[in-house]
Amino acid sequence: MINKLQWLATDNTYPYQNLAMEEYLTMNVGPGECIMYLWQNRHTVVIGKNQNCWKECKVNSLEKDGGFLVRRLSGGGAVFHDMGNLNFTFCLQHDDYNVEKQQSVILRAVQMLGIHGERTGRNDITVDGRKFSGNAFLRVGDQCYHHGTIMLNANTEDMSRYLNVDKKKLESKGVASVKSRVANLIEFKPDITVPMMQDVLVKAFQEVYGLPAEELSENSLPADEISALTDKFSSWDWKYGRKIPFDYEMADRFDWGDIQMQFHVNGGIIKEINVFSDAMDQEVICLFKDALTGQPYSEKDMTSVIMNTEIPADGPPTDIVLSMKKDIANLIQREI
Amino acid sequence: MSLLFSKSHEWVNMIDDTTAQVGLTDYAQAELGGLVFVNLPEEGDDVVSGEPFADVESVKAVSDVFSPVTGKVAEINEELLDAPEKINEAPYDAWFVKVEGITDKVELIDEAAYKAYVSTLSEE
Repeated sequence: MINKLQWLATDNTYPYQNLAMEEYLTMNVGPGECIMYLWQNRHTVVIGKNQNCWKECKVNSLEKDGGFLVRRLSGGGAVFHDMGNLNFTFCLQHDDYNVEKQQSVILRAVQMLGIHGERTGRNDITVDGRKFSGNAFLRVGDQCYHHGTIMLNANTEDMSRYLNVDKKKLESKGVASVKSRVANLIEFKPDITVPMMQDVLVKAFQEVYGLPAEELSENSLPADEISALTDKFSSWDWKYGRKIPFDYEMADRFDWGDIQMQFHVNGGIIKEINVFSDAMDQEVICLFKDALTGQPYSEKDMTSVIMNTEIPADGPPTDIVLSMKKDIANLIQREI
Repeated sequence: MSLLFSKSHEWVNMIDDTTAQVGLTDYAQAELGGLVFVNLPEEGDDVVSGEPFADVESVKAVSDVFSPVTGKVAEINEELLDAPEKINEAPYDAWFVKVEGITDKVELIDEAAYKAYVSTLSEE
């Protein structure tokens, strides 16, 4: 029985800190309590716990644009967040947890804005059959959360640019994303704003549970614990290093010959690589192969070891070596 | 084989005094719904009774799986990594790990007691 409602809306938009707050609130919510946490991430792709980031997201272009890749604790597929999107999290214990009731808060809130939302079987909330809110769930012992996006005016061009990955050559374990037709609520309520949405969410929250909700102060939360969790979410190990093995193949033809590289990656590290090439200089190809083995699967590390591979003086002329290096580095840059 | 059960819904098949296979019960798989992914520990990892040692992702949630025993992982069921749905299809064949050198266990109950326990749990 829920007997205490609290809500918190943060101004912070650094995604790793928002996920840290979410985890802290979830792990510390008591019996009979429900916390509604509202937050926004700037320029972020969030993937499910068990997804391959390279398969679900154009990691390289996202990061080049100053965006963030985030791996959340809950399952499911990849989503794009920006300041046109508002996220909600309901933190509660398992005995108090009821997805349908929590979703009614969202449905009631949008109804207050004159929008008729509907639940779908796929954990989504839709308007006119298009998804504006994707939901996901976590349970750790008694502690649970139910969170989701609410698209108000998200940049759908960025969304498709980062999430439409054409990687037929990537064979991976892990959970695949499901493509959905999406909708921004601004199409249905042209003057919608984030504060307006927050306001109706807080109203709907109190109405659905029939209790007053108290605003929780961000300053009351322990900064050291939040900061340790922020470090976890932003760490290389959590973002890239999860043990979801995959194989990726990249190939191209250049002036000096063709090359085909097959990578086997696990925990974000290149465990094995097969290289096939009809280039005259097979020994150089072998040196590249050896240099890449054991490196992190990242554009920066891989291009830098290629460019810095030492070629013996009796090898091919330096101009040929340099163009081989540049071509292979470009190929890697393009493909990751 | 006679299985023992934990109240956090794992089953234990004792192969000898200090070695056992561990999996998720039929009740647990039904509660979780269709499984799409499972994270297993690695061979050689230590597991501690009452602590999470694996997690599963279903269409409903990501959930931890708790170890009913303390010991060392001797073997993992790699088949589950490619086919997590086997846990839904045949939960008592779909062992997660084989643990050896068992030194401690959570409270384990027999099948009749587990059935009685499950029947007391409220429908959600």
